[in-house]
Amino acid sequence: MIRLMRFKLAAYARSHRLLQPVIGLFTMMLIFYSSVIPDGKQLTSYADSAGLLIVVFAWAARGLLDTEPAAQRLISMTAAGGPRREIGAGLLAALTVNIGLAAIAITLPLIHGFASVPPAGDIARGVVLHLLGLGAGTALGALTSKPIMPSPATSMLVLFGGYVMLLLISLTPIGSFTVPVMPWMRAANAGTLDEILLPVTAATLLWSTAGALAYIRLRRTRP
Amino acid sequence: MRLSDVSFRYSRRGPWIIQEVELALGAGSVVEVTGRNGAGKSTLLRLLAGIVPPTRGSIADRPPVVGYAPDVFPVDQPFTVSAYLAQMSRIRGVPAASGTALAERLNASHLLGQPLGDLSKGSAQKVGLIQSLLAPPGLLILDEPFSGLDEQTRTELPEIIEEVASAGGAVVVSDHQNQLRSFPGADHWLVEDGAVVARDGERARRTVIEVIVDADEADEVEQKLRADGYTTRRAT
Repeated sequence: MIRLMRFKLAAYARSHRLLQPVIGLFTMMLIFYSSVIPDGKQLTSYADSAGLLIVVFAWAARGLLDTEPAAQRLISMTAAGGPRREIGAGLLAALTVNIGLAAIAITLPLIHGFASVPPAGDIARGVVLHLLGLGAGTALGALTSKPIMPSPATSMLVLFGGYVMLLLISLTPIGSFTVPVMPWMRAANAGTLDEILLPVTAATLLWSTAGALAYIRLRRTRP
Repeated sequence: MRLSDVSFRYSRRGPWIIQEVELALGAGSVVEVTGRNGAGKSTLLRLLAGIVPPTRGSIADRPPVVGYAPDVFPVDQPFTVSAYLAQMSRIRGVPAASGTALAERLNASHLLGQPLGDLSKGSAQKVGLIQSLLAPPGLLILDEPFSGLDEQTRTELPEIIEEVASAGGAVVVSDHQNQLRSFPGADHWLVEDGAVVARDGERARRTVIEVIVDADEADEVEQKLRADGYTTRRAT
């Protein structure tokens, strides 16, 4: 499965599809850090970054999973020893790319963007929030990839529409029961992130896992 | 390998593509699958290859190594032929030299440095065939393999099929051009209205032997063997 994952990553990098989310990421970074973030506001900035980059993570995952043509996926399934390995390798490759993008999002403001390096605890909280964001983004990207949504127009609409819906729902009282993006942004701003970090993590992991399982289930008849 | 009461459809409310199929595929057997366009041949091949699971019924004793060549090889990939075959070899856990040797046999060595996107249809089919044979397959599935192939490879392909079968592998070929009609002992499956009708061929058991002769005598020995009705192939 690891060898197939490497093949998928190589195809993704060589096809230059990686450039699209990278450009998206750097554009967002440019907006986030166009002015220096003062001391004490770094965690707020990380929380916003983790929430807003979900759409970039989804875009990257979708692009990676769409890189292989349909017939190549069939070849890869037989070469790797079964469809589960091909599906697993695709999700692992998407997570790998998104971990790389998240690492840039966390490291870049430490070099340029923050007035000073925040405490280690805030960096750790930023890492956790970005991991939650990339989990949700990877699941959304997988569910809008070509085997599940063959029409590019529908796929893009669902990807961006789904992300906007996610933000809107998380503004409502039931927001805590979905991927609670807005609640974690507000809590980070109010300095109460630690109080809700556990339920936020649980809810995000639940929905990300549910999305990934739905993708795996749908791929059974959509090779 | 056995298919027991296998039915398949792509969605819960979709039409049945394959219905209540009972089939057995023995080691060393060669099967030609025919049927009109849209009859479900490719779906049957995907079920056999383990790419999709049956909606109902079961498939047992599938060999662990499956070679699969799709009807149209996907050239829209950012690799040269050699880089692609090296990647496929790595995934299958076989040396990269396997691809080079097969390319030489199928007269495709000159393609190795070419980007996949530059290949003609026939050349792409050769690459599809090569990747399916990288590891000796226990089950080889070829979806319309003769389409677009040059004459030399059309002649070579039945020999490769024969070798895989002689080594104990089962070979299933979807072939609406009926190129395997004269293949000795090939079974025939007709896919029609979701059903698969099997007709057994009378297949003589064959094996491959190597005969080493002086280079000067090679032509003469080859002519004699061919005159006696044997299939010959030169190894370099």
